[in-house]
Amino acid sequence: MSTTTETEIPLRQRVAENPQPALIWAAIGAVLIGAELGAILQVVGAVAGVVVNLIPGDPGASAVQSLQAAFDAIPTLISRDVIPNQGYWNGTGYENTFLGLSPAVAWAIRVAVVYAYAFAVLAWAWNGYKRFRRHYRRVDWTPRDDVVNRFRGHSWGKFGLIIVITFVVMAVFAPTLGPTTMEQNILQPYDYEVSYWSEDTQSVETVLVGEANLGSGSQGAGDENVAPLTYDDFGRFHPFGTATNGKDLFTQVVFGARISLTIAVVAMGIAGLIGLALAMITAYYKGLADLATVLVSDSIQALPVIMVLILMLVIFQNTWVRELYDGAVLIILIFSIVYWPFIWRSIRGPALQVSEQDWIDAAKSFGQTPTQVMRKHMAPYVFSYMLIYASLSLGGIIISVAGLSYLGLGITAPTPEWGRLIANGQQYVASPSWHISLVPGLLITLVVTGLNAFGDGIRDAIDPQADTGDEAAATGGGA
Amino acid sequence: MSTTSTEEERSTEARGDTILEVNDLKTYYEDGGFLGSNPVKAVDGVSFDIQRGETLGLVGESGCGKSTLGRTLMRLEEATAGEVKLNGTDITTLSGSDLKQFRKDVQMVFQDPDSSLNERMTVGEIVREPLDVHDWKTPSERRERVRELLETVGLQEQHYYRYPHQFSGGQRQRIGIARALALEPEFIILDEPVSALDVSVQAKILNLLEDLQNEFGLTYLFIAHDLAVVRHICDRVAVMYLGNMMEIGPADEMFDQPANPYTHALLSSIPEPDPTIERDRITLRGTPPSPRDPPAGCPFSTRCPVKIRPEAYRDMDPELWERIEVFREVLRERSRADPSLSDRVRKLLGRESHRAGMDEIIPELFGELDVPSSVMTHIREAADYAENDDEDAAQTYLHEEFGSVCDHERPDQLTVGNRGRLSLCHRHEPEYEEPAAVFETLVQ
Ligand code: SF4
Repeated sequence: MSTTTETEIPLRQRVAENPQPALIWAAIGAVLIGAELGAILQVVGAVAGVVVNLIPGDPGASAVQSLQAAFDAIPTLISRDVIPNQGYWNGTGYENTFLGLSPAVAWAIRVAVVYAYAFAVLAWAWNGYKRFRRHYRRVDWTPRDDVVNRFRGHSWGKFGLIIVITFVVMAVFAPTLGPTTMEQNILQPYDYEVSYWSEDTQSVETVLVGEANLGSGSQGAGDENVAPLTYDDFGRFHPFGTATNGKDLFTQVVFGARISLTIAVVAMGIAGLIGLALAMITAYYKGLADLATVLVSDSIQALPVIMVLILMLVIFQNTWVRELYDGAVLIILIFSIVYWPFIWRSIRGPALQVSEQDWIDAAKSFGQTPTQVMRKHMAPYVFSYMLIYASLSLGGIIISVAGLSYLGLGITAPTPEWGRLIANGQQYVASPSWHISLVPGLLITLVVTGLNAFGDGIRDAIDPQADTGDEAAATGGGA
Repeated sequence: MSTTSTEEERSTEARGDTILEVNDLKTYYEDGGFLGSNPVKAVDGVSFDIQRGETLGLVGESGCGKSTLGRTLMRLEEATAGEVKLNGTDITTLSGSDLKQFRKDVQMVFQDPDSSLNERMTVGEIVREPLDVHDWKTPSERRERVRELLETVGLQEQHYYRYPHQFSGGQRQRIGIARALALEPEFIILDEPVSALDVSVQAKILNLLEDLQNEFGLTYLFIAHDLAVVRHICDRVAVMYLGNMMEIGPADEMFDQPANPYTHALLSSIPEPDPTIERDRITLRGTPPSPRDPPAGCPFSTRCPVKIRPEAYRDMDPELWERIEVFREVLRERSRADPSLSDRVRKLLGRESHRAGMDEIIPELFGELDVPSSVMTHIREAADYAENDDEDAAQTYLHEEFGSVCDHERPDQLTVGNRGRLSLCHRHEPEYEEPAAVFETLVQ
């Protein structure tokens, strides 16, 4: 059935010849994306805002702001406006909540819809891969298929993946997930009001958010505590309770997830790229290049990570670098510099091993350029190892960032950060307000476990026989 | 004074058109050792040429430098000295676009089909890569060419989108051959192309290689350690030992009447297919010396069974002569083995070294023999040096006393017969007996 011409057909034509599976898939995709088009554009706007923020002098900030405003106006399925939970009791029923449900239920529905949507998108993407594999791919088997199949049979790895996805979704949809917003509840509480049903006057009253916060802090004593899954005196629902200052803990936690994951992923991405590039160069040229890299990486690895971080943060205190993105940029830079030797060390062995393969000599013998040899014939074999070590050390970075904020360094207030939340709640651990420290603490543990499980899963998937004994070192990371 | 072979002689009898000419090629490399240590002399002054359209077999034990020679000819290893002329151009100094052109003309087929194909690429991509690198015509013509090549080497064009994993060893080797053919090279280096394959598959691949040679007028350098395979496919054969070319000549002649003592030894290690033919095996003593520190004279002098003896000892009992040679080998081994750390500590503390003492070795070697006292004095002298951990002095002493022209002088490649055969051995000089004759007497 394989004719001479068939092997040459480009993908577009192969789809055109058998359009049905692709069309169905595209239609589902259009529905899914259409429902969230506004949100996607908002993300674009937010990214543009961050970029502008990074450039000293903020050029074009106003243009970006008007763009963001325009994007915000586009209605989306999953938004606070479609499923609102910030209503109040008017004596007979709820006002301004979704279908007149209680704020707690409305919030729960919104969270459920967000996760349902996120997993639907992932399922759609996975389905697309499977459709491609079945209907359009020219090869009927690739070595990568085995890896995918092995991962699918790895329950521990899949558990890790689900945890990781859950956290990523939490970070991505942070503004939608919170029962209230950053702006209203945390950053500008005295610019907003809430309405609530006052038992005393038996009528709806309004109060500034800031004042309401003052009256609903969790400070250990029985009447000064808003526990998880309860309402405060102003009719506001707090899924994780409130912090010491009465601000909503859940909102802070989801935004904290955002900053932790951003720092960890970006820092690891940079460190991974440096490590991978150096591994290619040192494995290809060996000798002096390798020796020089060993020296540099050994010197960096000899430094105590936390000490370096603290030092650098103190040195750059009060400089513009420190201010960028609430200090995150500086932390990312430091982590990338401190972590690449670790990644390079971990993948140096596999890189050297693949550089000894005859196909490298074969490629050299017909004149392939060194960069192409590294890219085509070496990097694909080392990349998955990098992924393993990167995911194993992400946890270390998350812990370190939390540790820094716990010490009062790291991410500057009021941007929420898990470490600072833990520090704030520390003195109430043994009181009714235990939730302030415990919830972020548990979340860190869970996400680190999830990342490790995911890393284990990839490792077993790429190399079922491999016995990477140094995983303990990998998890140890910078913490 | 003798039938020294030199350039002129070889080029005058050139049978047609020389594609590759190698002159005194040396490839040394620092084997990750400490700075200043002796380099490994993997190829140590080799000269030969290859005629267009012929197959030259390159044989030798593993570690003799034949693979390094092949890799140097491919410019995968840099030559330390000497020249390699492909169609008259020295390729050891090429760079830039000249090097790229050279990369098109010479290709290589590798030994291990598991390792020579990138498992993450489809067969089509693998065979097409050389074409892509050299920007050969248009992409669709390249695909067309790859499909042709797949058919040429006995695969099917629908294998284009398969991965190497889905093929057997023999099929993978065919893929490697297709890749080597892609750029229409004139010269292909086959680095033990069948030694990793099943015997049943070997013959098929060898036949394919012969067919391709006839079809495309290819020239092969066939590197092998299996002499039977070489005999089957090669026009001429070159035998390497310790970085040197011991003998080169027409395959049939060399297999029937080996000239060089090393070739003798190598051939007698092949099991005789016909059991009725009596052939005495010559087993070589010891192991090849380290290529970091090759013998000063003939490379084979440490193991040669027919080594020329110095005048004074021509009539010595062969057994005793043999024992002296073994004694020298023992000293070499001892000096090669780095003293262990504990040995060094013992020495620093002035204690006895742990290594077997001379008072054990000497009786063991010479105990039951009737050793003339003059000889015994020399042996004792050397043993005393060795006892004081000065193996070098002991070796030098024995070298002076029992060494011959084989130990002192590196032999030239001498012409043997009249079909352009060259052999690296002093015994082809008129004043000495031919190796073959000496082997006769040994075997009796
Ligand atoms: S030169 Fe001497 S040692 Fe070398 S092969 Fe000839 S006879 Fe043997």
